[in-house]
Order: sequence, then structure tokens, then C-alpha cells
Amino acid sequence: MTFMKNIINVVNLSKSYSAGIKALDDISLDVGKGEVLVVMGPSGSGKSTLIRTFNGLESFDTGYLEILGIRLDPNGDEKNIREIRKRVGMVFQQFNLFPHLSILENITLAPIKVQKRQKIEAQEHALSLLSNMGILSHANKYPSQLSGGEQQRVAIARSLALKPDLLLFDEPTSALDPERVNEVLDAMRDLAKKGMAMVVVTHEVGFAKEVADRVLFMDAGRVIEISKPNIFFQNAKEERSRRFLNQIIK
Amino acid sequence: MDYMKFFSKKGDVRIHFNIYDIILNFLILSIATFSSVKIIVWSFFEANWSVVSKNLALFTFGSYPYHDRWRPSIWIIYLLILCFFTIFNKETKKKRRPLVFAWGLFVPTGLFLVCGGLGKYPIPISYLGGLSLTIMLTSCSLLFSFPFGIFLALCRQSELFLVRNISKLYIDFMRSFPLITVLFFGQLLIPLFLPNGVEVNRVARAVFAFTIFLSAYIAEDFRCGLQSIPVSQIEAGKVLGFNDFQITSLIVLPQAFTIALPALTNQVIGLFQNTSLMSILGLAELLGISRSLLANPEFIGSYLEVYIWLGLIYWLFCTIIAMLGRYFEYQLDYDGNNR
Ligand SMILES: Nc1ncnc2c1ncn2[C@@H]1O[C@H](COP(=O)(O)OP(=O)(O)OP(=O)(O)O)[C@@H](O)[C@H]1O
Ligand SMILES: [Mg+2]
Repeated sequence: MTFMKNIINVVNLSKSYSAGIKALDDISLDVGKGEVLVVMGPSGSGKSTLIRTFNGLESFDTGYLEILGIRLDPNGDEKNIREIRKRVGMVFQQFNLFPHLSILENITLAPIKVQKRQKIEAQEHALSLLSNMGILSHANKYPSQLSGGEQQRVAIARSLALKPDLLLFDEPTSALDPERVNEVLDAMRDLAKKGMAMVVVTHEVGFAKEVADRVLFMDAGRVIEISKPNIFFQNAKEERSRRFLNQIIK
Repeated sequence: MDYMKFFSKKGDVRIHFNIYDIILNFLILSIATFSSVKIIVWSFFEANWSVVSKNLALFTFGSYPYHDRWRPSIWIIYLLILCFFTIFNKETKKKRRPLVFAWGLFVPTGLFLVCGGLGKYPIPISYLGGLSLTIMLTSCSLLFSFPFGIFLALCRQSELFLVRNISKLYIDFMRSFPLITVLFFGQLLIPLFLPNGVEVNRVARAVFAFTIFLSAYIAEDFRCGLQSIPVSQIEAGKVLGFNDFQITSLIVLPQAFTIALPALTNQVIGLFQNTSLMSILGLAELLGISRSLLANPEFIGSYLEVYIWLGLIYWLFCTIIAMLGRYFEYQLDYDGNNR
């Protein structure tokens, strides 16, 4: 295949929840190795739905996906989906840490149970990830004892613990206090610098300008445009994009 | 004045003490004093406690063979020590392993000892009576109804139509009977269903009846816990590559258990007390033994003494169960609600 260098290939993807209204409407795009794709669009435009199809959290009706060379068809093969999930991390808006486990256990659970790694090795890895995130001192606390920004950094560390080849972020900073946003964005900037491929749904314009390789703008389940950030934010090709940008940059 | 603080919580000291408050307080105090004096006088000077003191062994072991009474004794002491260490254990998660292990061995040890393990001849479990039998009925029923209850609760959430509805039907069906009818069923009807020559002893039949009854309630308590786990927790598990079994056992059930815990403690206390229903069906557990004692001409008329004594024993054990429940709530309190 000619696409092999890409980490994500999306070909003619469509999905509707209820008859008539399309959440995803004939979407095609690709993401290369080490690329950061920022996804923007108004509420209800299908951003979450799109990136959740990438790891099988959401099914779709037509078209197909190739994630890390693994193909997903509309009636998604459960085995392929699990294969993808082992190599693709995801960070949610609401962190979704496991409240009954300590921070360290949150991070080491999957490496130990899913990847069958040694407990000691998994713990050392977890501690080094925590120290990269600047929250080493919280290792033995419980999620409820941490601030939102700290929890989100734990969530990032948790997905990194599986040594993924691709990270998906669904509005990772939307649930945070404004002064906590940057500590999470900084962690994500670091990852981008290290060459991690990422698809990030976010409305953080500063982050997108600085880190994104390309910006994808969606509306009503359709791709309106995919541009380099300098073009998208200075003079977007599409009138719909410009209207959206006028609203969020003020 | 401190007098006011005595009657109200900190920070809500009532300033006005009107005449009705004073009369009410006086009334309550005088009733309380009067009845406690009455009770003390009765229990020290009028009551005849010989019915209790002469029959302590009977209350504890029933008609269990005299020379083998060390067996249930060891078992009950084992239980009390275990409760003590559990309630007063302030260790962290890691160091709890031996305790969990000891609890797991509690019922097997009891069955082994009581049925004559280590000895030359087997002892039928139906010899057991009194407190030992009450504990045996409670612990065995719990051992079986917890797994079965959890299984039912999980089935009730199943995506498979048949599995979900069969479990729903079972739960609703069981909950529509009074416990006593289920116990009757266990004692009187089960023998009819068994092939000739196969005999299951009364204790096992009682445990069976308690189990099929209680698991329906435990299933409902767990369902309440399961339903309060947000879908996002399951998604987080999926995304990390866990399979369905791991998501259930590592993520969903531990959280559901914590939420269901207060309700489950209630079930355990209820079960402990409800084992007394078996006295109607001819088992000589605590209440059964007491009834047979009261029928003995020597102790005729000592109702009050016997039932107060019984009340004390039930009170003691139910308090221990409640303390254990509170201990687990404290230990599992990851959200800091109880601190
Ligand atoms: N479970 C569902 N059932 C029915 N319709 C849904 C469901 N989830 C999403 N939708 C619809 O699909 C469309 C896309 O939703 P999606 O959540 O992907 O939007 P979004 O771009 O992520 O929005 P937001 O910025 O608010 O998160 C919306 O019109 C929404 O109403
Ligand atoms: Mg969304």
C-alpha cells in the first residue's frame, strides 16, 4: 500500500447515530509518523465521534480505517480493535482515572495486566513518567487528592506507560481551571517535541499554532479544511472556518 | 453555661431554654433513671441467672459431643481474634494480605474442625448447636451467597437477552417470598426432590435455603453499586487494552463493592439474626437451644433471663459485624468521604 508511512488513514468514513443526521460524513484524512494533528470545530460537529472511531470506542457505518497498519472495517473485528488499543493511548476530558487505585497503581495496572511486564520494571517506568510530568511526589496518593491539572497529567502518564505509537486527546484541558491549563499543555508540548504522533481535539489556539503540524476543521460531521496552522489561523481557506475562528479568538 | 452545650451539638448552642424544654428533659431523664434503676435491681437481686450460668456450654455448643468441644471452641476463638485484628488493624493495604488469607480460611477451617478433622471418627455436623451453629449457618451462607449474588448482579447487566431476563426473574421471584417459606422449602421439600437414598443434612439444607434467598438481595445491592459506575470508567479500561473480564474484576467490581458496602453490612447483620428462624424448623441454634431450655422443668419461667441473655449475645455479634463493616468502609474510602 502506498499509505504505509502513515500512522492513520481514514477513507470515506461515515456514521449516523439516528437515521438522517450524520455525525461523520464521508471523512478522509491521514496522519503521518510523528505528526501532530489538531482537530477543531463547533460543538456537535463530530470531533469526539471521529477520534473515538480510531480506537474502536465508536463504530461507523461505511468506509474504513487503518491505524498503525491495522485495518478496521465497519463491523469492527474485536481482535483488531484490541490490537490497536494496545498501541494507541487516549486521554479524556474528564481524566477518567480509577478512583479506587493509587496514582502509581493507576499507571502500572495496564502494563502489568495487559502487557505482562514485571511489576518492578513497570513501577520504575511509572515513576520516571511521573517525574517527567513533575508529579513524582503524588505517586502514592489517590486521584481524589489531586487537582484537575495533576490528574490529567497522571492520565497522560498512564497512557504513556503502555509505550504507545499514537496518542489521542479529546479536549484534555476543557475541564480544567484556566490557570491549570498550561501545566497540561506543557506536558503535551514535550511529547510533541519527542516525536510522538498525536491527534488532539482542542480549542487552545496558542497550543495549536505552536505544536500542530496541521489543523483539521470540522463542521456537521464533514471535513471543512485541513491546513497548516499558520495558514489556518491567519487566513483560513474556507469562509466557515473564518467564522468559527472569529468566534473563539476575541 | 455548659449545661446547654451538653444537649446540643458543637456550634449550635441554643440560647433559649423555654419551660417546655425543661419539662421534656426532666421527663426523659426521670424515665431513664427510673427504668435503669429497675433493671439494675431486677438483674442483681431478683433475677435467677442460674439458667444461664448452668448452661453456658449448651448455649455455645448445643449437644455437640462433650470430648470434642475444643473443636468449635478453637473455631470461635479464631473468629474473635480475627475480628479483633481486623477492626484494630491500622496497617496499609500491602500488609493486609495475611488477614485476607485468614478470613478466606475461616469457613473451611470451621467445617474441617467441627466435622471431626484430625480425629479418629467423623462427627455429623447436625450435632452442632447453639452459638456455634448460628455462626456456622451465617458464615457458610455468606460464603456461597456472595459469589452467587455477584454473579446474578453481573448477569442482570448482561447484553444477552436470555441471561439478563432469567437473572431478573430469579431475583424478583426470590424477593417475593418471605424468608421463612424458603427455609421451609429447604427443610421439607428438598428431600422429596432428591433421589432415594441420597440424604443431605439439615444444616446443609438450611445453608442452601439461606443462600438462594440472600443472593437475590446481595445481587440487588451490587446492582446499585454497578449502576453507579460511570461508563467512562469502562471506556478508560477498554482504551488501556483490558479485556472484559479484567475490566469487570479490576475496575468495576472493586468500585461497586465499595458503594454497596453499607447495604451489604446490613444483609450480613440481617442474616445473622434470621438464622434464628431455623429454631422453628427444628435446628438447635441459639434461639432453638433457648426454647428447649425453657421447656425444661428445672428452668421453667426463666423467660426474661434467657431472652435478655440471648439479646446480649445477638447484640454483641451484630455490633462486631457493624464494626467490621465500618472498618472496611474506612479502608476502602478512596474518595475521603468518611475521614
Ligand atoms: N450517543 C449518541 N447518540 C446519539 N447521538 C449522538 C451520540 N453521541 C453524539 N451524538 C451526536 O453526534 C454529533 C457529534 O457529536 P460529538 O460528540 O462527536 O461532537 P463534538 O464535536 O465532540 O462536540 P463537543 O465539542 O461538544 O464535544 C452530535 O450531533 C451529537 O448530538
Ligand atoms: Mg466532544
